[in-house]
Formats: sequence, structure tokens, C-alpha cells
Amino acid sequence: MASNAGSPAMQRRMKPLLGTFVEIAIVEMERGDTALTAAFAAIERIQALLSFHDAESELSRLNRQPGTAVKFDAISLRVLRLARAMTLRSNGLFNCTVGGALVAHGTLPDHGGVAALPCGRADDIVIGSGYALLRRPLRITLDGIAKGYAVDCAVRVLQAHGACSGWVNAGGDLRCFGETVLPVQRREVDGSLTLLGGVQNGALATSAVYPQRQGSFPSHIVRDGEELQEHGAWSVLARTAWRADALTKVAALAPAQQRAALIQQLGGRLV
Amino acid sequence: MRDLSPLFLLPVAATVMVAPAAYAQQYLTTEQAQRTLFPAATRFVAASVTLSEAQRDLIEEKSGVRQRWETQEVWRAELDGQLLGWFIVDKVVGKHEFITYAAALATDGKVLGMEVMTYLETYGSQIREVSWKQHLVGKTSADAFKLGKDIPNISGATLSCRNVSNGIKRLLALQEVALPYGQ
Repeated sequence: MASNAGSPAMQRRMKPLLGTFVEIAIVEMERGDTALTAAFAAIERIQALLSFHDAESELSRLNRQPGTAVKFDAISLRVLRLARAMTLRSNGLFNCTVGGALVAHGTLPDHGGVAALPCGRADDIVIGSGYALLRRPLRITLDGIAKGYAVDCAVRVLQAHGACSGWVNAGGDLRCFGETVLPVQRREVDGSLTLLGGVQNGALATSAVYPQRQGSFPSHIVRDGEELQEHGAWSVLARTAWRADALTKVAALAPAQQRAALIQQLGGRLV
Repeated sequence: MRDLSPLFLLPVAATVMVAPAAYAQQYLTTEQAQRTLFPAATRFVAASVTLSEAQRDLIEEKSGVRQRWETQEVWRAELDGQLLGWFIVDKVVGKHEFITYAAALATDGKVLGMEVMTYLETYGSQIREVSWKQHLVGKTSADAFKLGKDIPNISGATLSCRNVSNGIKRLLALQEVALPYGQ
């Protein structure tokens, strides 16, 4: 039987990060505080590099200068590469170029620069050695993947510090490692809860599309710049949080009858 | 190395899964938050401020966020008598959440760090009716948080931390208005 989250004794901390509340927990150990602090620092670093909301992030600099090679950190390049590959492989169901549409909808802030197209394609993004470039005026948003990637980085940092088991939960996008089993419920669009099961050595993420946008929840999904018609909450299980995170967007946009198969092709499992 | 085991969710005992009206967790006591945010400090001196109506108006003017209470819990973080910065305990109440958090502010108004101390999320019940003053604030034992003991994590409907961001803006204005500079 899955043990509940409270045993064995866990060290837990929470910080407001990535637009939500990030909780990190590890099985109690010596110098656990140091491990937790380092894991939060890794998340803060990714936020500083890739936040769409921060006008000074590397991502915002890229978005302001289409046609110009913009110096990119190795971490930023890695996330951009993953996002571009997923945009390509999912035939645009996951699409990291929809920032222009989200700015137009008022979901994301406008930091100025050349007026952007609502969305683009994977091959609009050029990735070089130490730089990235946009072929057309677009706004790249990594919100659908960088949160998961940050969770993965935090897990790696915890393990490097000797943590044998624990979890990182960024507002419901979470990853567990070691023996810990984390029971997870999903909040449905009508507010009810569905038991999904226990996550162990894996990642789970959920995206929800609501009939009306809800002020206290930041998520908003568009297809080629258009509002979605189908409402619901979709969860995806994967080895890594970046993949689970990205595949929830595929789940939200895929035709219902192809949803599960598509997610499986892309390395996840619809739950 | 690639993990080739199948991806699946483990079954969880149904008795654990009573749908919660609320999820609550305590992360840090005041003392733990102080040590986490100001590890170099040798002393924390209570220096809570009581704000006049005019000061509260000024805070709102500067930050765009209303200072709803007159008294704010503040400590001076000191290293051998020298002021390192301000440790402030604050709370934010949203539609579904009640959060107490601690902020560390440098004397020049830079945010040194933030830690959530207690987190409460409720659905279905009105959070404003939850008697949080009685149950949550100032508690140092985990007793008040039994509520959250068996409650699993909830995925979906990511809660925004905008309330805390606004809280920090308000505290920075409060520092300008009511906390003595330097000494």
C-alpha cells in the first residue's frame, strides 16, 4: 500500500516561484536545509533566465529582437531545444511560439519590441552555439515546459546533495524520486476531485481549460492563437516533469479519440 | 540510464482519499524562517510597527495594495548589533488560499528572500469564514495542521502566487513609510 506523504519524516519547504507555489520535500537528512536551499536556487535561476513576465530575462531579450542572434545560457538553450523539438514532434499541438497570441489575449505581458505574429512554427527558431535567433517576429513562451524543466533540475540538485527520496511540486506539476509515493488528486473543471493514484519515480502534470478564465489561476491554453472550445482537465504521467508539463498541452488540444495514443507516442501516459 | 519500467500510478488506499475541504501545511515556524532567511544574524529584535491611517494610505498609494491591518509583525535582524535587514511576517488571503509568509528585506529595500510559513487552501468552504486568526496565526506546533495530514496533493488549477507578489510590494512600501533607515 502506498504510504501517505507524512511518513517517513519529511523536511518540507515552500516558496512562491514560477508564478505559483513550489513545495520541495525530502526525507529528513543531515544538511537537508542546504539541499533544499540549493534546489530552490536552481529553480530561481531558470525563472530568471526564461520567465516571460520578466522583461530582463534572456527569453524576453530574444523576443524583443527577431532576426538577431541573442546570447543564450546553456540551460536556456537546452529548454528552447526541448520546446522546439516538442513543437515539431507534436505537429504544433504543443507550440512554444504562441506568445504573441497570449499577449494579445492579455494573458502574458507586453514588453514592447516589434509587433509579433500570433504564433509561428518550430523552424522559426534557430539554435546555435551559445545563441538563439528568431527568423520572424514571434514571442516564444516556455511557460508550458520550463516549469517542468525547473522541477527536473531541482530533483537533480537534491539527488546530488545526497537526498535519497522526496518530491518537487510546482503548483500541481510534480515529480517524485526514490521510495516516496505521493498520492495525487486532480481538481476537475467543476471543482470536484478525482483520485489519480500514487506517483513514484515519475512526474505528473495537469492542464485545465475552463469555460471562463479564472483570475486566481494563471493557466490559459490557445491553439494557433484561437481560444479552445473543449473544457476539461488533463493529466499526463512521464519520466520527467518537462515532458509531462509539455504533454498536458498536447492532451488539451488533441482530438479526444487520438489523445491517449498521441501522448504515448510522445513519451507520456494520459491518466 | 534510461528507465524502461512501465509508467503507471500506484493504487492508493481509498480511506486516505477523503475529499478534503481544505489542505493545510506548516513549513516553518517564525524562528525557523528567521534562521533560513538571515543565517548570519546573531539576534532578532522584535520591532513590530503600528501604522496610522495616514501611513496606511501612503502605503496603498506607493504600492497599489491596501494595508488592511494596523499592526505588522517586524523583527530587526542583527549581526553583533549591526542591522542586517528586516524580517517581516505577513499574510495574504485569496479566493481559495490563506498563506502566511516571511520576507527578508535589506535596509536598501532589496528583497533578500521569501519563505512560506503556512499554507492553507480551501474549496467549497468560504476561506474568509475560516477562523484562521484563531487556528493558524502564531501556532508553532503542527497540531493546528492535522487537517492536512492525510490530504494528498492536488494537480491542476495551478494557484497563482500573485497575492504574495502584491504582498511583497506592499511590504516594500511599508518599509519606506514606517521602518527607520539604516539604524
